[in-house]
Amino acid sequence: MANEVQRKEAHKLPRFSPSTDIIEKEDGFHIYMDMPGVAREQLNINLQDTDLEISAQAEFPKLKNASNIHMEFGDCEYVRSFTISDVVDRENIKATMKNGVLELYLPKADKARPRKIEIEAG
Amino acid sequence: MVIDLSSFYNVPRQMDKFFDELWKPSMISQRRHAYPPVNISEDTGKIYIYSEMPGIQIEDVDITLTDGSLVIKGNRKHDTGNYYRQERPAGLFQRVINLNVPVDADKVKARMKDGILEIIIPKAEEAKPKKVSIEAE
Repeated sequence: MANEVQRKEAHKLPRFSPSTDIIEKEDGFHIYMDMPGVAREQLNINLQDTDLEISAQAEFPKLKNASNIHMEFGDCEYVRSFTISDVVDRENIKATMKNGVLELYLPKADKARPRKIEIEAG
Repeated sequence: MVIDLSSFYNVPRQMDKFFDELWKPSMISQRRHAYPPVNISEDTGKIYIYSEMPGIQIEDVDITLTDGSLVIKGNRKHDTGNYYRQERPAGLFQRVINLNVPVDADKVKARMKDGILEIIIPKAEEAKPKKVSIEAE
């Protein structure tokens, strides 16, 4: 019970599942996630076996002595997890954070790459 | 809300006003559909506008200040490839913010950080509150 209460307090911020694009290209999969307001230090990426979990906290600048006229967004927490298939080379996943967008690059494992088959002349 | 039925207050008009405010378009349409989302704050000297626009370079945003309104325009491009999932909005967007006070158009500052656009607009001198001294007789 006490644990539950603590957990609730820790997640006071509203949680969002960030908008995500998943694109397959020849070299692998690219995942783009919109996370405005997130700096690199506030981002956590966990890979456990086949589960990839991304969580981050967004903080927006607060103004002193200013009154808010119109608000449409605020401090929040982003959480989203993915399951990764065997096609992905898990050792070489790369993440870059730029301008509030997280880009994950998941290269394809060698065995999953398209291969050209040579035809021998008989 | 207090409803006073005496003739001093114009009751039908107050009722109309109350219902009009309930159905203000800003409460329904703007919040849900307007893109990008903006926050507006002000203090005595400046107006601060913040807007969420992840993945956009400051050069790709067009900010114009016309008479009484600020227009933010831009384009979100998307990548080519085989899409498994597409949730991020793409394409042209525009947002108009009405400014009800005269502003100093030459000193507007804009910058982008972590996908948040920040615009600071100083108010014009005549819009700043002035203290009026009252002389005692």
